[in-house]
Amino acid sequence: MKRIIIDREKCDGCLNCNVACISAHEEGSNFYTVNLGSVDSETRNFIKFDAKTGYTPIFCRHCDEPECVLSCMSGAMEKDLVTGHVKYDESKCAACYMCVMNCPYGVLKPDNKTRTKVIKCDFCEEKPDGPSCVKACPKQAIEVKEISR
Amino acid sequence: MKIVIIGASAAGISAAKTIKTSEPDTQIVIISKEDHIHSRCMLHKYLGHERDVKGISFVHENFFAENNITWLKNTTVVDLDTDKKFVRTNDNQAIYFDKLLIATGASYFIPPIPGLREAKNVYGFRDLKDAQLLDSECKTAKNAVVIGAGLVGMDAAVALLERGLKVTVIEMMNGIMGLQLDEKSSQAYQQLFEEHEAEFLLSDKVTSVDLDEAGKGKTIHLTSGKSVCADVIVIAAGVRPSFDFVERSGIATKNAILVGDDLQTNIKGIYAAGDVIGISGIWPNAMKQGKIAAINMLGEKLRYEDRYALKNTTNFYGLTTLSLGNINPKPEENFDVLIREDRNNYQKIVMKSGVIHGVIIQGNINSTGFWQYLIKNKIDVSGMDKDVFDLSYADFYKVDSNSGEYLYAI
Repeated sequence: MKRIIIDREKCDGCLNCNVACISAHEEGSNFYTVNLGSVDSETRNFIKFDAKTGYTPIFCRHCDEPECVLSCMSGAMEKDLVTGHVKYDESKCAACYMCVMNCPYGVLKPDNKTRTKVIKCDFCEEKPDGPSCVKACPKQAIEVKEISR
Repeated sequence: MKIVIIGASAAGISAAKTIKTSEPDTQIVIISKEDHIHSRCMLHKYLGHERDVKGISFVHENFFAENNITWLKNTTVVDLDTDKKFVRTNDNQAIYFDKLLIATGASYFIPPIPGLREAKNVYGFRDLKDAQLLDSECKTAKNAVVIGAGLVGMDAAVALLERGLKVTVIEMMNGIMGLQLDEKSSQAYQQLFEEHEAEFLLSDKVTSVDLDEAGKGKTIHLTSGKSVCADVIVIAAGVRPSFDFVERSGIATKNAILVGDDLQTNIKGIYAAGDVIGISGIWPNAMKQGKIAAINMLGEKLRYEDRYALKNTTNFYGLTTLSLGNINPKPEENFDVLIREDRNNYQKIVMKSGVIHGVIIQGNINSTGFWQYLIKNKIDVSGMDKDVFDLSYADFYKVDSNSGEYLYAI
């Protein structure tokens, strides 16, 4: 499967990946028009920062044993056996948020605006050239690589 | 190999999926009393008319056909022969197996209160059938009484309110969802429910129920001397594992079906998972148990180790809460209780000597999944040199260099 591989040392916290993610999930939006102040603007990836640890890129791993899928009571979260990615179907989701509780890496979150869905990386599945965050990273701190399973 | 699974909820379906993923040629028969696969966690959405039967399913529409699984619906198991390896169904079929998974779940319990068990308008809120019966009552009923303000009771209440009934909730404890919340976080929900016209009778208990000439419970009497009128009564006072059919089979039980770490019963080749084993009553754990039992039925030797069950998320009226572990410590336990709050958020951490024992995060629960890991693995955070409320997965960050998966650096 393809996974976004992270080289933490290369990350300098520019947050281009955040902007790219928000923009990719907002219809008609691009780098120049994206409204970062909007309540709809939610990023599926995070860069945590503190003085001791430096920049820490937190991106959905689409885990081999995804806890979010195992905790999903609606069938909204599913591991795609062909691509290996964890897919999320908003229309099925009942917003119980057990996936938020069970993701050991704190990647998942409820949507801020309505609390009726989960904000989850979709690997930009519909974009022919792959995840927008990876394309936006000026440091090549994140790269898509084929992982043997 | 032929595997028979009794029960088609979290544990049963998760087991079937696991088996079909790793060994698709395995023959599977699922026996279930339901005729629609559904998630009990979504019953309130059905009763509240937000979703139909299809909308509360947690499997694909053609799940059984796609996976080549035989599904005996509307069928219950009445007997089990562990020597000859077959189960007998209510319609007198003998279904033989090489391996068996018992995932029959639990059933609601009606306390022995005079009038309550006899009343014809008392319903649980456990299965689709319960929700369907309640749905038809809702067409004429005006006053609903919910006995028990746990998660199930509040799910029922939210749906009944949605249907326009007058809802009164009776609870023995002094707050709602008392196992999942503390006073402050509980009151936040109570207030929201009250804004939606729910009434609460807390620290009170039902003593008797008066029946009308049709046998319906009409007046509910309480310890406090108060009484409440009811057209329909929902009982949400706990559940009991369902395993009547194993009584004569030699399978060891003690209020639940007993299993080893491999989720096998005392009889070789017979496994049990989910609410019926009484270890925890929550969906994610049942799913994981189903998965592990399935892998073991296929010949592996996995142990069920992720047993942590004191965990919940709540979402009513858009107020979200995560609660984990011991959130209402007793004074003699000598825990440190830390609180951080603002006008939209309430956070509480219960800890001792650097180890976190309980957490409540109400309001913004973004990225809070790591707390469960810290609590269940008893991670000492005393050397972290930062405010404990500011911890995140970043403080334990580690990446597996081969797979790119995350690990915990501890």
